[in-house]
Amino acid sequence: MAKKPAPRSSKLSVYLYVPNIIGYIRVLLNCLAFSLCLRNKIIFPILYFFSFVCDAVDGWCARRFNQVSTFGAVLDMVTDRISTACLLVVLSQLYKPGLVFLSLLALDIGSHWFQMYSTFLAGKASHKDVKDSTNWLFRAYYGNRMFMAYCCVSCEVLYLILFYLAENQTETLADVLSSNLQKITLISFLIGTSLFGWATKQIINVIQMKTAADMCVLYDIDKKHKH
Amino acid sequence: MAKKPAPRSSKLSVYLYVPNIIGYIRVLLNCLAFSLCLRNKIIFPILYFFSFVCDAVDGWCARRFNQVSTFGAVLDMVTDRISTACLLVVLSQLYKPGLVFLSLLALDIGSHWFQMYSTFLAGKASHKDVKDSTNWLFRAYYGNRMFMAYCCVSCEVLYLILFYLAENQTETLADVLSSNLQKITLISFLIGTSLFGWATKQIINVIQVCTWFIYACIF
Repeated sequence: MAKKPAPRSSKLSVYLYVPNIIGYIRVLLNCLAFSLCLRNKIIFPILYFFSFVCDAVDGWCARRFNQVSTFGAVLDMVTDRISTACLLVVLSQLYKPGLVFLSLLALDIGSHWFQMYSTFLAGKASHKDVKDSTNWLFRAYYGNRMFMAYCCVSCEVLYLILFYLAENQTETLADVLSSNLQKITLISFLIGTSLFGWATKQIINVIQMKTAADMCVLYDIDKKHKH
Repeated sequence: MAKKPAPRSSKLSVYLYVPNIIGYIRVLLNCLAFSLCLRNKIIFPILYFFSFVCDAVDGWCARRFNQVSTFGAVLDMVTDRISTACLLVVLSQLYKPGLVFLSLLALDIGSHWFQMYSTFLAGKASHKDVKDSTNWLFRAYYGNRMFMAYCCVSCEVLYLILFYLAENQTETLADVLSSNLQKITLISFLIGTSLFGWATKQIINVIQVCTWFIYACIF
């Protein structure tokens, strides 16, 4: 007796996966946050951070409810990229001319773009599955999910703190950092701990860009060699 | 008699391909341009536009010298994305709060990212090889390279004009556009012709985002 084929899940059901609904909420939270970021300095970091928390929650939900989807993963990645980019833009306005934030934006876009490309070319499941890299920092970063989470959270926390501390637009970034690091307060502790994680993440971004560029080059060489 | 295998090219030789060297020059031009954009309003558009011209030249060189490489294509794409992003950031500073430029940045990043994913997941060679799309505007845009080039150039020209016209930071974008469009000058002609190409490109970007949403769940 022939087995009846399993019914295909409808397209609609993927859009209604719990983690993807959380993804839409994240997008709305970000739109709301950035529309009022220059008018309300308290609400913006709260909304932004809440959206960041949802980022962690939707991954957990996806695995818990067996609702992992490519659509969800890409939506997640794009939301991260755009929200980080917009936050860096706002920071460049608050600490004019903010060339350092422009550079961080360039590094974020460049490293993730190259990484995405090389992940596809090499057929790896995700850029986080890096097992064969010989760079010790790379292995430490990707091998230890808690450390990786600490570095990612540090970047967001540092940027939000800088947002919160920008009083008037004539102070330079260096002044704000040094005046706050000289006192012993909760803020200076947060800045100190997040600076290390932030720096690690930026170094990883640079290394990733180089490694990914190498992979693009090796892909072409391998292809040519096979012919 | 066994044939000796051809020697593998070294990684370095690919990094030294002529179009890739042009790519590095583009990156340096952009770094230079943005480091002095807020101090010199004449030099910045010149450097930026020159980098944009190199973008066309390196593609031509790659085909002419048979030095097409994946690395070169990705470097090109990344340089485009970053230079457009930085220009939009600068515009958002000149026309504060510039939420419209923030939105254009989000649309640029989002649409190109989604497009890259669909290209890979569907196995297409390049996101510019769109043969099976049923959307007429899509087909018109990607089917006609001259029109596509016009739209891309329009965006850059419009942003550079807005950069050049920003006199002081209290004028709104609407004021600057309306006051310049009311006169008949070279600038108003350039604004008028580039507005159409810019609008087409943004509509295409929106369609690309929507297309991803509609088709992504089947991957």
